[in-house]
Amino acid sequence: MAYLSISNVSKQFGDTTVVDNFNLDIEKGEFVSFLGPSGCGKTTTLRMVAGFEIPTTGQIMLDGSDITDVAPNQRNVGMIFQSYALFPNMTVAQNIAFGLRVRKETDDMVKQRVQEMIALIHLEEHANKYPFQLSGGQQQRVSLARALAIHPQVLLLDEPLSALDAKIRVSLRAEIRSIQKSLGITAIFVTHDQEEALSISDRVVVMNVGEMEQVGTPFEIYNFPKTSFVANFVGSLNTSKATVVDPAGGILDMNGIRVHSESGVQGKKKGDVVMVAIRPERFSFSWEGKKENVTEGTVENITFLGSVVRVQLLIGGIKFNMDTFNRPSLTLPKIGEKCEVTFSSKAVLILDD
Amino acid sequence: MKLKFKSLWSWIWFLIGTLYFILPLYATLDFSLRMERDTIGFKAYRVAFADPKFVETFARSNILAVITIIVSIILIVPTAYWVRLRLPQARRIVEFITLLPFVIPAIILVFGMIRVFSTPVRIPFTDIILIQPLTTLIVNKFHLGTYILIVAGYMILALPYMYRAVDTGMRTVDVRTLTEASQSLGANGFTIMWHVILPNIRASLLSGALLTYAIVVGEVVLASFLGLDTFGPYLFLLGQHRAYEPSALTFVAFLLTWAAMGIIQLVSGEQGQTAGAH
Amino acid sequence: MADTPMTAPRKASWKSSFAKWLGVAPFFLFAIFFILLPSFSLLTGSFFDADGNFTFKNIAELFTNPTIVTAYKLSIEISAVTALGGGIFGFLLAYAITIGGLPKFVRKALITFSGVASNFAGVPLAFAFVATLGRTGFVTALLDVYVFQKYFGIKLYDTGFNLYSFAGLALTYLYFQFPLMVLIMTPALDGLKREWREAAENLGATAFQYWTRVALPILLPPILGTMVLLFGNAFGAYATAYALTGGALPIITIQIGAQIRGDVLHNPNLGYAMAMGMVFIMAISLVGYSWLQKFSERWLR
Repeated sequence: MAYLSISNVSKQFGDTTVVDNFNLDIEKGEFVSFLGPSGCGKTTTLRMVAGFEIPTTGQIMLDGSDITDVAPNQRNVGMIFQSYALFPNMTVAQNIAFGLRVRKETDDMVKQRVQEMIALIHLEEHANKYPFQLSGGQQQRVSLARALAIHPQVLLLDEPLSALDAKIRVSLRAEIRSIQKSLGITAIFVTHDQEEALSISDRVVVMNVGEMEQVGTPFEIYNFPKTSFVANFVGSLNTSKATVVDPAGGILDMNGIRVHSESGVQGKKKGDVVMVAIRPERFSFSWEGKKENVTEGTVENITFLGSVVRVQLLIGGIKFNMDTFNRPSLTLPKIGEKCEVTFSSKAVLILDD
Repeated sequence: MKLKFKSLWSWIWFLIGTLYFILPLYATLDFSLRMERDTIGFKAYRVAFADPKFVETFARSNILAVITIIVSIILIVPTAYWVRLRLPQARRIVEFITLLPFVIPAIILVFGMIRVFSTPVRIPFTDIILIQPLTTLIVNKFHLGTYILIVAGYMILALPYMYRAVDTGMRTVDVRTLTEASQSLGANGFTIMWHVILPNIRASLLSGALLTYAIVVGEVVLASFLGLDTFGPYLFLLGQHRAYEPSALTFVAFLLTWAAMGIIQLVSGEQGQTAGAH
Repeated sequence: MADTPMTAPRKASWKSSFAKWLGVAPFFLFAIFFILLPSFSLLTGSFFDADGNFTFKNIAELFTNPTIVTAYKLSIEISAVTALGGGIFGFLLAYAITIGGLPKFVRKALITFSGVASNFAGVPLAFAFVATLGRTGFVTALLDVYVFQKYFGIKLYDTGFNLYSFAGLALTYLYFQFPLMVLIMTPALDGLKREWREAAENLGATAFQYWTRVALPILLPPILGTMVLLFGNAFGAYATAYALTGGALPIITIQIGAQIRGDVLHNPNLGYAMAMGMVFIMAISLVGYSWLQKFSERWLR
């Protein structure tokens, strides 16, 4: 049996269903992200694991015991909040000691544990400062230490990086991941930032309006999105309708353009309309080599995005974005010119809905 | 179950609080309506309003309130504006001064004013008078000097509230950006103040003005020690020898306070401020 | 430095900074004339005797003259009692409309009430309380009929209660004291973040532990600060007390009023010293308030 298992959990507030039939098994030591736009139910699910919300139906098991209805202060889970939620009247050390103090641990034990934790987050010289004297990143590290001090069975992180500057966000997420790995602690990380979720997690749960859209490794989620929501939410994407021409051969007709797709057109009949998706970076200019799915497009606009150049193309009356790596040797067509582009038959994804 | 207990407890405190608020007002109203034996009626109000002395003192208090408000705005708005825009280093000292009225209650203020302004300024160790006392400044039997003093005193009592209202208003509308935008469009100083700044802080000005009104209209300490016949001292004297009319006027005073605070709530949306001539 | 090229712009900037200060000159002149000059005149007055000689005698007498000592004591007592009582009651009300879970319209009503009541003072307030708890007051009559005569066979005023006494004045002051507490504590209680409670619970704290170790320590500065403010609020009050007791309860403001009217101490300079003593106490309470305010600004944002 899984270490943490959330089975058939639903949550309703009045008439609105915020979480609908959520099922997930998390192994010990695993790092799982809940990814989705605001209002998708990811935070509510996390808060049910923490005990701040009670599921309307369903069950939550942690290490073999049912914690569905256990009060938050009787569970042993650590929670990190977006707003840090450090107690402003306590120093860094006192904040970290709080969970141990309310557990009536001995002074020696508390002292030792606090020192360990402060060393873990590298804030030795700030131990006696108050939260308002620390930067946001430092405060969130204290909050991490405070949650870890009580040896929680699960670490819950509710958008912990959203309030921070871009640079600190990246460095702190690496720090969180490395601490999580070294302690072997099970963690659930809630975020609306796909890059964050993909970079930090063992597995990602993509959620939308209360439902789980897809569960998988970051690799699976990005490369093999199952639904148009996942495909659109994770990374950028070109989508278009297409008509099945030859189900066996994987041949589709996209506004007059013949497209070959390797992923399953099985189960579809000739004449069925399906949703097709192609990531911008899967396009390349035909003079660069490969000659599969070659088609002509008109350049509408060119935007430099740093390491990537985005070319907006009009192919068969449909707008497509194409991303190509920026390098000094790159020669680009001019706006208004026609050019041949190509994409692999593996790049053509057929979405479920 | 636990939640129910908590809100029951809250309701109990709320009930006690409401009773504390309402009972004195209800008692006053009830009493003021019983001037005629065995009937409920507005006789006390009719009698009180018909007293020419009431009309005179109440009018005087209202005029004083209006003058205080106008002079306060003329003094405070440019000061607050200047401090925000050109002289941020003066902010601490100006704010300190606006807090002084909290340290110097009305009774002390009037005490000091009387000592300074009702005795002539002499050359030290002689009897040669340099400046006549301000209180003896009388124009056509009108005690101009005393009126100047009382308006100054009222401005001081209202200063913390007026200044804070104006300053908060200027902060929320960001007068610096407004000024720079108007300047870039070619507006001069007067246009900026009259057509841009004042209209934008009018809600704050109204709050400050109404608080000032609430302080001034029933004020007793300054008026009675400076010897001016205004509504406050009149009501006090009326209370010494009449029973029903003071209750009627008390209720009227309450309604005025209520109206002032109600309008402040309406224009500022959130919590009212407090002032007090206790 | 004087002969460097920097000199010319420096002079100009000195001039422009003078012009800058000219912009606040009217305000400063007003403050000097009508606030500082009167206060300063009382201050100097308290250090001279009737013949114009410098002396500390007036200050010393503040601590020895029984009339003055009683007046200060009485004022401090009534201010402390109403600050504490009004503070506790006001806090409970503010709690009720924030965390206590009362509906929104109740909160709005109470805030509006508080805005009015905290500004309703002086003569009208005294008269309202006479109509309520005076000898023939409305509540006095109610209490007599339904409580005192029914169960004890006596009247309220037979118990020794009197509106024109310390207790009566305290009840009257409370009318503007606790609403002020409500007005200031409501935003402070709103400032208590839900996350603090959840973080505490998450770390294993009980509701009691949360209140004693987190919420109350965070709220302590605003609670104490506002109580200090209430203290000053009552300490400086004159009109309410005078209108209610007619001077029968000799608190410090009443004594100063009597001194202004007719030099009851037979020493004007002692009167000035008495006034300065009051300003001193008010100043201490304002300093205490601003000091406590600093914590609130850092903790409750």
